[in-house]
Parts: sequence; structure tokens; C-alpha cells
Amino acid sequence: MKPCDCQIHRRAFLSRGIACVGLLGLNNLLAQEKAASHGVVNPLHHPAKAKRIIFLYQAGGPSHLETFDNKPKLRAEGGKPMPESFTKGQQIAQLQGSKLTCYAPQYDFKRFGKSGQEICELFPHIGSVADDICIVRSMWTEQINHDPAHTIMNTGSIIPGRPSMGSWVFYGLGADTNDLPGFVVLLSTGKGGQMQPIAARQWSAGLLPSKFQGVKLNSIGDPVLYIENPPGVNAKLQQSSVDAINKLNRAEFAALRDPEIQTRISQYEMAFRMQTSVPGLMDMSKEPQKVLDMYGAQPGDGSFASNCLLARRLAERGVRFIQLYHRDWDHHGGLKANIALKAEETDRATAALITDLKERGMLDDTLVIWGGEFGRTPMSQGGDGRDHHIKGFSYMMAGGGIKPGITYGTTDELGYAAEENPVSVHDFHATMLHLLGIDHKRLAMKFQGLDVRLTGISGDVVKDILV
Amino acid sequence: MTRRLTVSRQQPEWLSDSHRQGPDYHGRTRSAIYSSHVNAKFCVGLFFLFTASAEVRFNRDIRPIMANTCFRCHGPDKSSRMAGMRLDIRDEAVKPLRDGATPIVPGDPEKSAIVQRIFATGARVMPPSSIHKELTDVQKNTIRQWVAEGAKYEGHWAYQPVQRATPPAPGNPVDAFVQARLAKDGMQQQPEADRRTLIRRVSLDLTGLPPTIEETESFAKDPAPNAYEKLVDRLLASPRYAEQQAMHWLDFVRYADTCGFHGDNALPAWPYRDYVLHAFRDNKPFNEFTRDQLAGDLIPDATRDQKVASAFNRLNRTSAEGGLQPKEYLAKYGADRVRTIASVWMGSTLGCAECHDHKFDPFLSRDFYSMKAFFADIKETGLVPDRGAKAWGTQLALPTPEQQKRQEELKDALDAAKVKLTATMARLQPQRAAWEKRLLDDYAAGKLVWHNQHPISAKSANGSVLKIYNEEPVLFTTYDGNNGTQDSKPGDGLVIASGPNPDNDTYTVTFRPGAGTWTAMEVQVVQDEALPGIRVARGADRVVLSEVEAEVSGRGKAPFASGMSNLNNPSAEFPPIAAIDGDLSTGWAIATYNENTKVALALRFTEPLHTDGDSTMTVRILQNSEFRRATMGRFRIALSSGDYSYPHQDAGKEIPDNVLKSLKVAEDKRTDDDRKRIAAHFQWAVPEAQADVIAVAKLEAASAMLEKQIPHVVVSEATEKPVDTRILGRGNWMDETGEVVAPAIPVFLGKLDTGGRRATRLDLANWLVDPKNPLTARVYVNRVWRQFFGSGISKSLDDFGSQGEWPVNPELLDWLAAEFVHPDWQAEGAHDWDMRHIVRMIVLSKTYRQASANNDERDPDNRLLSHQSRFRVDAEVVRDIALSVSGLMADKFGGPSVKPAQPDGYLMAMNFPKREYSASHGDDMYRRGVYTFWQRSFLHPSLLTFDAPTREECTVNRTNSNTPLQALVLLNDPIYVEAARAFAGNILKHEGSLGDRINWAFERAISRAPSGEEKRVVSDLYRSSLQQFRKSPDDAAELLKVGEAPTPSGEKPAELAAMTMVARALLNMHETITRN
Repeated sequence: MKPCDCQIHRRAFLSRGIACVGLLGLNNLLAQEKAASHGVVNPLHHPAKAKRIIFLYQAGGPSHLETFDNKPKLRAEGGKPMPESFTKGQQIAQLQGSKLTCYAPQYDFKRFGKSGQEICELFPHIGSVADDICIVRSMWTEQINHDPAHTIMNTGSIIPGRPSMGSWVFYGLGADTNDLPGFVVLLSTGKGGQMQPIAARQWSAGLLPSKFQGVKLNSIGDPVLYIENPPGVNAKLQQSSVDAINKLNRAEFAALRDPEIQTRISQYEMAFRMQTSVPGLMDMSKEPQKVLDMYGAQPGDGSFASNCLLARRLAERGVRFIQLYHRDWDHHGGLKANIALKAEETDRATAALITDLKERGMLDDTLVIWGGEFGRTPMSQGGDGRDHHIKGFSYMMAGGGIKPGITYGTTDELGYAAEENPVSVHDFHATMLHLLGIDHKRLAMKFQGLDVRLTGISGDVVKDILV
Repeated sequence: MTRRLTVSRQQPEWLSDSHRQGPDYHGRTRSAIYSSHVNAKFCVGLFFLFTASAEVRFNRDIRPIMANTCFRCHGPDKSSRMAGMRLDIRDEAVKPLRDGATPIVPGDPEKSAIVQRIFATGARVMPPSSIHKELTDVQKNTIRQWVAEGAKYEGHWAYQPVQRATPPAPGNPVDAFVQARLAKDGMQQQPEADRRTLIRRVSLDLTGLPPTIEETESFAKDPAPNAYEKLVDRLLASPRYAEQQAMHWLDFVRYADTCGFHGDNALPAWPYRDYVLHAFRDNKPFNEFTRDQLAGDLIPDATRDQKVASAFNRLNRTSAEGGLQPKEYLAKYGADRVRTIASVWMGSTLGCAECHDHKFDPFLSRDFYSMKAFFADIKETGLVPDRGAKAWGTQLALPTPEQQKRQEELKDALDAAKVKLTATMARLQPQRAAWEKRLLDDYAAGKLVWHNQHPISAKSANGSVLKIYNEEPVLFTTYDGNNGTQDSKPGDGLVIASGPNPDNDTYTVTFRPGAGTWTAMEVQVVQDEALPGIRVARGADRVVLSEVEAEVSGRGKAPFASGMSNLNNPSAEFPPIAAIDGDLSTGWAIATYNENTKVALALRFTEPLHTDGDSTMTVRILQNSEFRRATMGRFRIALSSGDYSYPHQDAGKEIPDNVLKSLKVAEDKRTDDDRKRIAAHFQWAVPEAQADVIAVAKLEAASAMLEKQIPHVVVSEATEKPVDTRILGRGNWMDETGEVVAPAIPVFLGKLDTGGRRATRLDLANWLVDPKNPLTARVYVNRVWRQFFGSGISKSLDDFGSQGEWPVNPELLDWLAAEFVHPDWQAEGAHDWDMRHIVRMIVLSKTYRQASANNDERDPDNRLLSHQSRFRVDAEVVRDIALSVSGLMADKFGGPSVKPAQPDGYLMAMNFPKREYSASHGDDMYRRGVYTFWQRSFLHPSLLTFDAPTREECTVNRTNSNTPLQALVLLNDPIYVEAARAFAGNILKHEGSLGDRINWAFERAISRAPSGEEKRVVSDLYRSSLQQFRKSPDDAAELLKVGEAPTPSGEKPAELAAMTMVARALLNMHETITRN
């Protein structure tokens, strides 16, 4: 193909509207020596601090009051009625119609590190990296039930069909790998059994081409759906089959010059490379025992700890956005025991990931995020739990251009509503994209006459937490 | 396919939005094109496309620019209007502003503020740099020229009446309009595609299936002048046509089989899909089709079909999450309906008006809520229960006449049996006091205790590993909804199943009860957190015991007379006696997820059973239900000598707690509840009543099982008093200060004349399909057009507003819309709003029939149709092609959704209940994709990978992507491997050399013979695979075991396996899944 033909074809292709995948496929074709796919934000809007994101998504709604937001006043008020001035006219989930009583934080807080950050005593390992992390205590969202709250946290909208943040980032930046998907999702399940469902919508590409959807790596069955050869088909047979398919497709391309066929060929090549690279990725047996111990990971157990280690391996291999869901934070009851269980499951591994990335020199350009879809009420539910809560909750972030060792924003004295420096979901998204070198207002997709963005029509970068 | 991409200004210009808007096609003069800063080569390509047009036209040239750059701040939305300047209405735009400047001075661009500002530099430039919407020089000059020419405004094209122009030439008007447009640029169409391509194209488009070899040959050789027309009419008459059209329609109406939010449980909806199938099969006029769906229930003397169609209003996502705020969800449901109807019928993006007036189009926020108010009469709740008696709100039962007759018979019989039982209980009433005393005495003396049996053996019929824990300690992890507990204690006769996990199983347990006399046996279903689903079964969301049998050594079978379980939420169609009725198709089940954690099923022996010290007792538990892996993970067997031991796993609960409490209340102090509880327990316990109790139980079970077989569907039911619909400020559902609005169509489109009566959904439907409605017909035919050319005449199928694409051939769009409403061309047998007629005239056109080869690069994205388009088929069709080519496809039309196999663990992130997937078996494995059970939160992964929408939201425009995951599906998803295996069997059945067989296989898969090169590639694959499989016969055997289809006898495994590799390669070819 002559270069000028390429130009024309590429345009023909783009203007047909199925563009992007074709573009990337063709880019690969045109620049086969390059190992990475580019995104549409090229060049970046401004220099990036972070190259990739590892999002430790604590699903179910972790209590900020037993993790990162110390509320002595609430402790003092435990058992007393919740002042109506806080709750009047506010949204309430399962406590609708109930008498509202303050529920004292169930654990003490301690100061950690040189920075003296206050963190719940249940999280000593996170405490040990206190000087590397930034705690945001003033998050708020607008959806009070799990499903829509996840959806807005992931896509910036509650209407299904919007791309998830991982898809936006992959679409915007491409990935530094051609052997693995650019956006990977991992799921783990806590032992407490308070597990809310998570829909595949949370990692959907929505309006973006499905190439940008999150690919879930599974701990049972095939790590990637259909990655294993059929029974009785060994690697050699698979290779000769893929070769034959590509030869047949090349013959068709020679006759028709349709770039879509070329894309198909390169996708078969990538599929075959994935078949080879995924088993190696998943095989953690070569990780030193010291590392396994640091995370508390037992290879193959599908735990949050193993997923944290896997996340580091994915980051090393050039995956752009790695999202780990840990389910089981929905503590309507039995909070005291269950939050301790969650701490046991997540504390060590979270800290290990930060430490490990730091030791490998990767923390500087990897943004680690820890948080869920909302927080929990300062009010008691059933005497031993907390209900869903949207007006104020905490996030923790580290690396990738985030100012270390600081606590940002506050909630009011009872931990009810974000008070100082409130951070909305859109602000959070804007900040995340900013760190990646993307102006959130300029990463958009035309849909139904609108420029659809991750941040909707609002969102401000939280400059105070940037290095 | 027609989604546009926007990116930042730093992106190459060819990616940016301005080049995807109408003016590119129509607006620019030659000089404008030359002055563009766009890459010169690109311009050369487009140059010929743009008709030289001296006059700038507002709709074609100006509105799209302004909509993209000006209207956000100077458009219809008052709240965001800047400087009091409004540009979308001429009267406003020519008025001087407060600062004295006049936005537009017609005929005098230099005096016009907008021209000054767009050519300004620095801070004064409009649009401001902060919005990143810089105007190109071409755009600026176009605006200047328009003002100079008098700034003539036009109403937006989509809101003007449809105009039926006289076709510019005789023949099929589709061709006349398309060719006239091409001729303006000196372009021509391609000649007709060859017959093989043509039959494959039209078969895939109309039926979603490739033609058979016989069909292809017969068409290729048919000398009749109307050969193609005959073919088209044959395809249109096929039920496969209805399936293909239904597939598209179901996306629009967001049809799915589950509710979408949270637990995402199964919603009774499939009869609605059958309605849609029948509508396309019977070619129902679109106006009736519309009325049925929006308001079927409101049509006077509505038929059953019309009521079923009204399920359309109930297909929105609903939630049953505890703690949801009902008002919030009612707002969500209503908004969903407005978005769907606006998108599907009006091609309008009304969604944004939920929070504010539309930024670009004349829709007001009030319009959004007025539209929503049409649906305020539908009976619904914010929390839509997904189980129990009130599940899913209003449903319509759809019994067959036979089922209806049987229902009536059962009801009569049951009434009679109940009368008899009541009489018996009245007769036995005098014995109750004595019975109560005996019951309490027996209980106190421990005579009612269940004796857990310690098995000496436990065997599975289908390979599960059953391990016995008698004295051995076991970790029990239970979870009661809030709290988890862990406890390690001796198993006490516990049997745990592990290892292979068969779909069905029979457990056989043997134990020595010792000497005794036994009245009842109990199966304890032991919950554990380690188990999936509802924590009792090895797989499914339920445990089903189809039959339980007991036998004592030397004495033969010990039959059971009756059964009782301690379920909190028993399912009427799974009663205890179904486990002892000798019928394997019925069973007792734990089928809801919020269940008692210590479930037991007690079965009373017909006669007391005597055992000696060395007697062996064998219990067989058959678990043969249709539910995959609804088998117990942990269980015990216990025996009782008491006369009336209530089932439970814990000692001391042989009388239910609440009954015990009531029994202890003195007779004269008892409440009604006490008396009811005692009476129920007495009835269950007293032997003399058993025959009558069982008679009632059997009839109740039969009724419940019949009821379960009768299809149900959610439908609309109107209330007398529609709820108030308020305008919600910024869409905030908590804001109760907004004005209450009555149902109304968007104000700028007119007003419904109802003579003062509140307008209804039926009025809305009638307005939508009024021949004068400017939108509906255009929107419909534009979507149909996309099916046959890959893109609409306007490619923005769901946005006919100012941000949408100006139709590339407006005369054609209008002519088709008019033809849709009143057929005129070859209209014999056609009726108004004839959906099939429009399809027929499109596929009969030369435009449709031309070859796809593109020899003219002036129109690179083929908007003008100088040739046909090539595109990948839809997700369902990808699968249908494999099933059809392989001969596996089951051709049943309609019926309940089916569950094709999918990977284990795919649903692991779901809950309430946790669940595992029960795949369909038999023919249902091979049904067409349109029948796939549509699980919104986790759509079948192969369909999802090929861009099938989740249908959480209305989708009129699927994406069409090309990804590595698609390659993995086609290569490795077992259904595609099985299809390859079956296809290979058929290839081998074809007599002849390897070359002949390969020819046949290509003909079957892609309707053409292979080239020499292709033949060589495939022969090489066959030979190398054959060598491999001869070397490793085990591999061949493994491969041939994939799926359930039988392996043809008489074929050698290595040959069959090698040919499977060939078939698989063919099914993976780009050409196979492409419509050309």
C-alpha cells in the first residue's frame, strides 16, 4: 500500500464513524515497530504526572468514620439523638422513617508517620505509609443506592450507556501494551458476606467502541473469558489456525482493500498474543516469598491481596487503568466485627502495593486510589450498623502527582456533610484526568447532540492536593 | 455505527467535530473549500462532493455551526443565556442589545455584532477560547456571507411538514433520488452485484441468516426477469424476517429479561417479544404497532395482544433494593420513558430537558415533564418487588384455552376438598384439647426429638464426592443477612458434596438407625457460606429435591404419606408432597434467597417403621430438576419416633416457637392468631385428618404448578387518578416546589385537542402516528435505511435536532416518509404505515443491489451511495450464522427466552440472590440470538463482545467494533467450537476429494467457491491438523466432545477433528461475519 492510499483509507474509515478501533488497528499496521497504542489525546493537554491508575474500589460503601475520618464529637454523642439540623430534608436510605441516633465510631484513631495523619487503628499498615498518602475527607456524591452510586462514581452519570472512567482513560491515552487490554478489572469478595452486586456496566465502554471496555480478569475459570484454547487444541494447532484465518483474511484484503479487514487481522494477532501473555501474567509462582508475604497473597486465592499484587504486575506490563473491586463493605449491621474483617483483608495489601510501587520507582507515575461509592451514616442502623450516606465520605490517594502526607477537606463535627473543601465525584474525576495530562473538558464524545464527558458539565481540578 | 467522535482542538482536524456536520456536505462554495486550512489532499477528496451553491442557507449551512458554537449561550435555554442575546430566533437576533450593539443587521455584516466578534482577536473573540469551540475560517466566512445575503432564517428541517417531491426520474424512486444526487457531483452507481453476493446480502439483511447452497444455486441460475423480486418476497414472508426485524426493535424499546438494577432478577417479559415477532410476521401497520405499545391497555375493548404490547411501558429498569427512596425511582422510571419515546418515535434528545431547557433545540424543561405526565396513570411503585405475591406489579396471565379449562377444574376440585377438610376438622375439634396436652407432654419428654443419623456410606450417581462427617469436626459458616458466624463442631451425620459438580445428581445414603419405631424422616439442608447461590445448593439459586425414597434392609420400600417443611417462604409450585409423588418432573424446593437458615423437610411414613439393632436403612435423594446444579451441598438425614415432630435442624424446635408460645396461653386468653396457629398445627398433626389434608395439598400443588406453567407478562394498568407530575428544578426529585403539569406534547410542536379532557397515552400515540406529525415517519424510515446501507440518510438516528446531521438526501428522506404513511409506489396490497413495504422497496432498488466495490474516492464514507457498503453483521447474527451454517440451528419461532451456555463464574458479582447460570439444553441451546435471555447487568458475554447493547437504556444505534475479544469468542467459545464440529461432520458427509469438500464448505459458509490461494491455505490447515490429531488421538477425542450435538457415526475421529479445524477457520473469516 502506498502511503497516500493509507491516508485516504484512513480517512474513509474514520469518516464512516466506526473510526477509533480502525484507527488504532491501522496505526498499528502503519507503525508496527511501536509497542503501544495511542489514544485520542495525543499530544497530552499538559504534562502528565501519572501514567497509569490503580483504583482499589471498596464496594458497598466503606464507613469513613471507621477508616479515615476521626470524629471525637460523634464518639461523645454516641447513643444520643442525631440533631435534626443535620438530617432534615436530606436523603435517607434504609433509615427512612426511623428514629435517628448517633452511633459512636467503633474504633480509635491514631496518628501515623511524620505527617501525623489520623487513621483508624484498624489500618496500621496504611498508617505505615501515612507519609505517602493523601486523605480526602470531604467527598460527596448524589446517589444513595449502590447500583446508581457505582454508576455515577464510574461514569459520572446515572444514565446507563456512558463510558466508565477506565474506558475514558484508555480511549484518551491508549496503553503501553499490545498484549493485554488497556483497562483491566479484578474482583474479590470479602468474607463477611455483605456483598452488593456489581453490574458489568461499571466497566463498560458505553458509547465508546467496545475495544475500550474493561476486561475482567477472573480468579475462577479462564482468567479472560475464552482465553483458553478449546479442549484438544494445543498451542501449535491454535497458532496454525490463527495463521490460516489471517491468511484467508489477507486474501480478502488483497481483493477488497477494506481497512476493516486489516483491523480484523491485527485483532486476531493480538488475541493470540493475549493467549500467550495472560497465563504468564497470572502465574505469580515466581514472585519471591518475601513479596507474597508483604501483600499477604496466596497465588490463586482470588483475594484482594492477590489482586493487589496482580495489579502491580499489570501496571508493569503497561496496562493503563487497573480497577480492583473488593465487595463486602455494606455494613448495615454487625459493623464492628465486619469492619475489622475488611481491615484485615485490605490494610496490609493496600500498604504493600504502595510500598512495592515505591520500591520499584513506579509510585511517582502511578496513581493509587482507595475508596467506594459512598460513605456511611453517623447515625446507627439497628444498633450495630450504619446506613448508606452521600453527603460526606473519605477517599485515599497516593502517588502519580498527589501531594503526600496531607489530609484534605473536612466533614462537619458529626461526620455528616462535607464542610471544608467539598470534593464532588466530578471534581474527583477532573483531578484524576488532570494528573494523566488530560483536561477533562476536552475529552468528549459526541452523543445525541451533546459533548458527553466523564465530568458531565461540571468538575474542578482539586489543585490543593497536587504536588 | 454512526457515532461521532469529538476530541480536543489539538487533534487532527479530520477527527474534529466540525467535519462531521452537515455543512461539510452542503454548505461550502468552491472558494470556501480552497480557503480551508484542512489538509489539501482531503479537500480534493471532498471537493467534488460539494455542490457549488451561491446562496448560503440557514438550515443547511448556518444552524449547524451556531448550534455547535453559539446556542449554548445564545440559544433557547434562558438560564444560561449570556448578554441577553438570542440567535436562534431572527426577531430576537436583529434587535439591538442593551449595550447598543445589534447582533445581526441583515445585509450589513460589518455592522453586525456577531460578525465583528467572530472575526475579532484576543479577549473579544467569539466563541470565547474557554469553550474550545474555535470557528474555522470557512465557517466565519459562511456566516458573513449569510448575513450579507439578508440573514434569512428557516425553520428546522425536521419540524417542517414532510414533502413528497416528484421523483426526478421514472423507476424505483429510491434510485431516482439517489442517482440524481450523485449526478450533481458527476458520480455514478456501481452495476448490480453478482447473484451470489446479492442473495447473501439480502438474506442476511432480511433474515439474519446466510442462504443455503441450494438457495444460492437456484437464484444464481434463475433466468426469470423477476428472479430477485421472487427471492425478496420469499424472504419477507419468512418467520426469520420477523425475528431479524424484532432484533432491531427490541434494542429500541430496551427489551430485556431482567429488571436491570441491583439484584437484576428475571422479569416476566418474553410474551412482549412474541407480540413484536407477530407484529412483524403479520406486518402490522406501524400506527397500530405504536398505539398497542404505548396505550394498548387504553384501547376500548383491548385485545389480549394489545394488553401484552403495553408491556412496553414496563420495560424500563426497576429496582428492588432495600432502602431506595420511592420518589427518586419513580422519577427515574418516568424519565426513562420520556427518553425512550423521544428517541424512538421523535428522533429527539429530550433527556437533557429533565434538568434544563434544551440547549440547542426548542424543547423546554416543561415539555419533558408534560411528556412524562402522559405516563402518570400507570400503576407502579418506586420499589418494584422482584419476588413474592406482589412481584413486578401488574401482570397479565396468558393461559392457553386448555390451561384455562384445567384451572377452572382444579379450582372446583380444590373448593370441594377444602369444604371436606373443614368438615373433618370440625368433627375432630373435640379431640384438640387432649391432643394439645399429649403434644406438650411428648415434647417435654423428648419424644419428638429428631435423631441425626450417622451414615456408613454416601454415594453420588453422577460423580460428586460425598464425604461423611460424623464425629469429625466441620467448620460451619452461616450468614443470616446481617451477621456471619463461624463455628467448628462435629458434623453429627453431615454429608458434604464436593469435586465434580454435575447438573443433576442422586445421593444415596445408608445408615443404621438401631432398634426403634420411626414415624417420620427428615432431610436437613445445611446452609454454608462456602456454597454459591442461596448458600445451600452446589450451583443454582435453589435446591430442588425431585423425589425422596427410603428403604429398610429386608423390608423393602418405606412409603411416605405426607410432607412438611419449615420454610419461611415456601413456593407454592414446589410443595413438600411433590418430593414423594413419584413424579420426577415435580419437586420440593428452597427457591427464595431470604430463607430460614436451618431448613428441613419432614416426611411422614405411611406406617410406623420398625428397625432392629442391625437394620440398614437406605435413603435415595433424587435431584433431577430442570435447574442446573440445584443439588444440596451439605445435608443430614434424621429420624423421629414422635407423632408430630415439626421439621427443624436444631433440637428443641420440634414445635415451632410461635406455636409453642400460643399453646402455653390459657384457652380463654388466646388471641385469634394463637387459635389460628394452633389450629393449623393441629390440622397438620392429627392423623385422622391426613387424607383430607393431603387431598387439599395435592390440589394446591397442582394449581400452583399449572400457574407456573402459564406465561405471565408485565403490562400497563391505568389508575383512575394519575399521580401529579411536577416540573423538577434541575431534575431534583426532592424539589416539591415545581409546577404540576398536565400531559402535553412539546409546546412548539402544537397542542393536542382533547376538548379539555386530560390527555392520555392513547392521545400521545395517536399524535405520534398522525400523518401530519413531521418526525415519526422520517425517524422510522431513516432507521430502516441504516439496516440496508450501514448508515441513515441522516446518520444521527436519534437526533433530528440542530446538533444532528442534516440528511444527506432530504428529498429522499421525505419521499420515503410520505411513502411509509401512504404507500403509492407498487402499492398493491400495501397499507398505510406499512413497515414491510418500505423494506421491500429499499431492497428492490438498484441502489441496494449494486456492488460494494468503491472505485470513487470522492465520497470515502459512501454517504451518497455510489456503491453498497460492507459491514459486520450484528451480534446475534454472528452466532446465527455459525448455527445455521453448521446445521445446528433450531428454528422454533417465539416462546420463552433461552440460556445459551456461558462460562462458569460469569455472574459471580451478582447478588440477591447469588447465582449460577442454568444453561438451556436440547434445542434451546441452538435457538437464534434474538431469543437469548437478556441479563441486563451481565449480558451473555459473546453477545456483549459483538456490541449487543445491554438494553439498560434505549439504543437505536449499536456500535460496530472490531476487537481482540471478538477473536477469542469466535475461536474459543464452546458454541463456536461445537458449530465447527457439526459443520465438519457435514463437510465430511459431502462426497468427493478434499478439494471438493473445501469447495462445498466455502459455498455453505460464504456462498462462493474458494480461490486457489484460499483452497491451498485451508488444505494445508487440514493436513497439518490431521497429522497432529493422528499423533494425539486423545486430543481429537477431547475436541469432539465439545457441546451436546452428537458426533456423526462412521467418521474417523482424527479426520473429523482436522476438518473441525477447517470449519472453525471458515467460521472465523472476516467475510463470514460480514455482509457485503
